Amino acid sequence: MKKVLVVDDSLSVARQLEKIIGESGDFTCVGHAKNGAEAIKMNHTEDPEIICMDMNMPGMDGLTALRTLSVMDKDVKVVMVTSLGGVGDKFTEALKLGAKNVISKPFEADNVLRILREL
Amino acid sequence: MAVKFFGQFLVEQGIVTSEALLNAINLQDKNNLKIGEMAMEMGLISPADIQRAHNAQMSKDMRLGDLLVEMGFLTLAQLNDVITRQKNTHLYIGEALVQVGALTSSELQKHLDAFKADQAKYISNGIELPITSAHSEIWEMTADLTYKMVTRVLDLQFRPGKCVVATTLAPNFMLAAMDLSGDVEARYLISVSEGLQKTIAKAILNETSVDDEPAEVLEDTVMEFVNVVCGNVAAKASQMGIIMNINPPVTIHPPAQGLPVPDGHTALSFPIHIQDGDTMELVLLIKN
Repeated sequence: MKKVLVVDDSLSVARQLEKIIGESGDFTCVGHAKNGAEAIKMNHTEDPEIICMDMNMPGMDGLTALRTLSVMDKDVKVVMVTSLGGVGDKFTEALKLGAKNVISKPFEADNVLRILREL
Repeated sequence: MAVKFFGQFLVEQGIVTSEALLNAINLQDKNNLKIGEMAMEMGLISPADIQRAHNAQMSKDMRLGDLLVEMGFLTLAQLNDVITRQKNTHLYIGEALVQVGALTSSELQKHLDAFKADQAKYISNGIELPITSAHSEIWEMTADLTYKMVTRVLDLQFRPGKCVVATTLAPNFMLAAMDLSGDVEARYLISVSEGLQKTIAKAILNETSVDDEPAEVLEDTVMEFVNVVCGNVAAKASQMGIIMNINPPVTIHPPAQGLPVPDGHTALSFPIHIQDGDTMELVLLIKN
């Protein structure tokens, strides 16, 4: 099973994603980071294959963390999960920084799993 | 289920790869000239003229085209010619994807139709504001999109009340707020009762009961609803040419007498009457 790290300041979004990932049969959730800085630390300690990360978080935001992760760890695949997915500049910046895809909030479980399975 | 632009829709659906989309965006960047670049290509101004206009822009809040006219580098008729040529030569993302070989023309039309159908639920309906303000169209869209998200995300039947200018934010169980910045400056607030907070939590967490959930989680679900609405509002605003940044949401517990509207702000209140008799309130605290 592929290991997934969830990064979101929202407890409720983390709960939603952990449930979707946990019930998928293909993935296991290895933890929940509440901002970009925690994500970088947990990427080191938990060694996930996939990171599902929000953009808009207090402290280090998702795009800043993505910039760092793309330099530090070439293997981890990052998918942004954000309410800002429809903002063209943010979407393009995320792809340029190496995100594999951008999922808009509100999301549907089927869509999240389809995108994770395609990675 | 969210406000999207066409390129995002195609990548999210797995129709084109993110690499192909980036190639198409790069092609757009090369092809779609800015006002100054287009005026220069048409031989109307020099690089030195543009530099002088850019320098002047630091102290004047004007668009480059208007400034080029004010500084006498272009006539109004020439500026209109430049804008017309810009529009006529604009390469849209779908066409760019065809040019980089990611889609055929017939596939483009099929996916455009699917995209329009997906986004049809977010086309704005008319909302009447009691005042006229700069960016009224943005605040109308914000209220309209809030109503649509109450239906789509929370699955609640409701009747929108008449929008009024408020002098006090009425007391309620809790408010979730998000600051908006960029071309507009405002605070977006959703005010809910204890019962509505639980209703929102059930919808966001997809649970039938939230009675055992800690208060922290229940509050978080209202903040997440605000985050989802404001992110989608920012997406719509960007389609309207307005830059809107959002900040992490916060929770406010208003005192019994309510909260006064701060000086220099206008508060627009949009009551949302829920079918079971409860009322949610959207408040836009707009900086004057």
